[in-house]
Amino acid sequence: MSPLKLVVSGPVGAGKTTFVQTLSETAVVATEAEATEDIGKALTTVAFDFGTLNLDGQELHIYGTPGQDRFNFMWDVLCDGALGLVMLVAGDRPQDFMHARNILEYITSRFPIPFVVGVTRQDLDRVWKPADIAAFFGLPLSQVVGLNAINPADGANLLIRLLERLPLSPHNGAPPRVGSTSSPL
Amino acid sequence: MTTAVLSKQDVLRTTLMTLRSALPELRGVLIATTDGLPIVQTMSEGTDANRVAAMAATAIGLGKRINDTLGSGILTEMSVSGLDGQVYLYAAGKGVLAVVAPAGMNLGLLHMEARDAAQSIASVL
Repeated sequence: MSPLKLVVSGPVGAGKTTFVQTLSETAVVATEAEATEDIGKALTTVAFDFGTLNLDGQELHIYGTPGQDRFNFMWDVLCDGALGLVMLVAGDRPQDFMHARNILEYITSRFPIPFVVGVTRQDLDRVWKPADIAAFFGLPLSQVVGLNAINPADGANLLIRLLERLPLSPHNGAPPRVGSTSSPL
Repeated sequence: MTTAVLSKQDVLRTTLMTLRSALPELRGVLIATTDGLPIVQTMSEGTDANRVAAMAATAIGLGKRINDTLGSGILTEMSVSGLDGQVYLYAAGKGVLAVVAPAGMNLGLLHMEARDAAQSIASVL
């Protein structure tokens, strides 16, 4: 089975780099630079993150994109040949929801691939839930999953939900279970 | 009597203008932050300076990873060349210097002037 290329995108600070670094079984190639804008953290991705993961026998190559609009040429570059998309949205940054929807629209209009939306920061007490984001995006709840980006099981679960949506995937109808003995997590 | 204090931007603009007068054939010069925002630029009309600034940051970011993998040490410069033109990117402290040149330009002079400029920029940023 050849590796599946997946892309992780979303606004700045959604948790894309964290997501890739949490899940990758190989050393992550990250391209971070010091942020000169006030984005709530010191570093920001300027090219991409690359990590790999084997989920129930399926090799996954995961590419994280930068979040700022000025890097949207990278969304095109990275999505070329991608078979699925993970859109991450920080559940504690409602000011970014509209931007997240714009990014989703930008990518899926050019690359009509299956996608899921991951709502991060679910570890916080006061946070927007998947149901809220599903309503905002006009998506079924089955396509919107909550997660804590530093939790590997959460991350794997989100990927499994994406894999279930891929055509002719062995996971269709029989999704791998997180925590099963064959899973590396 | 007051002494005008030059802002960082003024100093950078002077560096940029010096480079342009030393190398009149250049198509454009731009100084950007390492996260892709333009600081000062003189790109030709019809060139999106914001786009070039972001791309310069992306290229340098990628170049740094390539250097790390190859054990080549701290990134100093890189280039992208086409049949009809080329761009040279120089690490400049907390910034990036992008020099857009026509094909076939005298690279010896270009590098000499641009590397000097990159050092000036690094000391300012």
